[in-house]
Amino acid sequence: MEHANIPIAVLEAVLVFLILYKIFSARRGRQLYIRRIPGLNAIDEAIGRATEMGRPIMFSPGIRPLDLPTLQALSILRHVTKIAAKYGTRVIVPTCDSVVYTIAEEISKDAYNSEGRPEQFNPDDIRYLSDDQFAYASGCVGILTREKVASSLMFGAFFAEALILAETGHNVGAMQVAGTPSTTQIPFFITSCDYTIIGDEFYAASAYLSREPTLLGSLVGQDYAKAVLIIVVLLGIVIASIPWLNHHYPSLLTLFSKT
Amino acid sequence: MFTQWLVKPGAPQYLWVLAVLGDFLILGGALFFLLRMVPSRFRKTLVAIVTFGAGLIYSVEFFVPVPAGKDGNFLTNFAQKTVTDVVLVLSTFALGLGIYSLLRFHGRNLTRMRPGWHNSLALYVAFFAMLLTGFWSMMSKAPAAANTFDVLFRGTVAAPGATMFSIIAFYIVSAAYRAFRIRSAEATLMLAAAFVVMLGSVPIGEYLTSGLPVTGFWSNFRMENVNLWILKEPNMAAWRGISFGVEIGALAMALRTWLSLERGSFFEREL
Repeated sequence: MEHANIPIAVLEAVLVFLILYKIFSARRGRQLYIRRIPGLNAIDEAIGRATEMGRPIMFSPGIRPLDLPTLQALSILRHVTKIAAKYGTRVIVPTCDSVVYTIAEEISKDAYNSEGRPEQFNPDDIRYLSDDQFAYASGCVGILTREKVASSLMFGAFFAEALILAETGHNVGAMQVAGTPSTTQIPFFITSCDYTIIGDEFYAASAYLSREPTLLGSLVGQDYAKAVLIIVVLLGIVIASIPWLNHHYPSLLTLFSKT
Repeated sequence: MFTQWLVKPGAPQYLWVLAVLGDFLILGGALFFLLRMVPSRFRKTLVAIVTFGAGLIYSVEFFVPVPAGKDGNFLTNFAQKTVTDVVLVLSTFALGLGIYSLLRFHGRNLTRMRPGWHNSLALYVAFFAMLLTGFWSMMSKAPAAANTFDVLFRGTVAAPGATMFSIIAFYIVSAAYRAFRIRSAEATLMLAAAFVVMLGSVPIGEYLTSGLPVTGFWSNFRMENVNLWILKEPNMAAWRGISFGVEIGALAMALRTWLSLERGSFFEREL
């Protein structure tokens, strides 16, 4: 397992402090501004399209077990299900992990209840397909084609199956919105989907959609943390590029080394 | 834990399986009952305490320095083995629910003869065939048992998986065709970069610029070096930029989850 050295521990402490400081200042009622993210606005558009066409939405929370990207995907699922419940549109959620399946089912049930439509919740719409990556992909392909989904939302961590899902969605004419922290799959989603949420925009989704102060504060804290990282990178570039500094202060460079 | 009290070493394997299942039911039932006994106003606090405690193990393990000459600190073994085992046990509980969901959905398809019911029948046949041959190969030493399981696994699990994986090659072509259409300045730039990278990765690309010197200034314009430069410099810079954002986002989310600040994101009702 990796362990922190002193510079990493200090940097981590600074980043944690900034994020927590902004969260608590937002909770005290400070107004915060976040920029518009077109991909997240498109989620409402995708739900509207499915409602107009009278066809279901497919929401895939990725193929990882319950980890951070999947948790983020599940918080987006809640938002999607709440709006879909309001309009009476079905949301089919195929899952690749049994733990994620149980939580997704509870979230969906809760979302229908909170919108006052508990009778609309159909347990068959939350499906556990398989733990196997490609068995899951073929299950999703089956749902996309058989159910004639109007919109396909893919949020979470994806691997090689990303292109199979996105290209099939494109072929069946579904409006597709994808968001993933998996950097290797971003090009595939950009190519095949109508909107793609990349990088840290993925983690901004729940704040953007809910406008909840804790999440907004966290988002602003993330921006401050990124600014700190940029300063650290620039410092590293300067120190590594000036021979005089390296010669007289060799310990400076060790601040940026792994050990 | 209790299994070793119930079953003596050397007992038949089916007894071990039954004892483990019994363990699960007894311990799981007791845990569930205890949780239901906790008044609802304390349940949130209980969940927050357990979450914080579990997260603390990994945080402390990461920050406490490793003694010289050792692979980990005093918590490494506990975090890697014991906590991982606990997570595995919890996941196993949920696996049963997942299988139940799968069988319930396809069972309804079968009993109501919905369109595509034959697919559901295939699932049932495959599920029980794999389950029974799996147990058979586990409990019997007969070569037929292992062979049957192997044939079923290779023929009905591995082969379709490989087929699905190979389909990606065709999807890449159709996706690339759409991506490389010249619609804007950015798309043109991407097309040019992709063309150079593809050409630099095949022998004909190297052949085209083989007349340029191997060292010195002009060697930078050899196709394989241009390819390497695109991948290692502009591509890597963009990739790292995205990764920084992703990791900071993950850190923020981990903090919110660890400190139970994120509860409203998942459920409306109280626990």
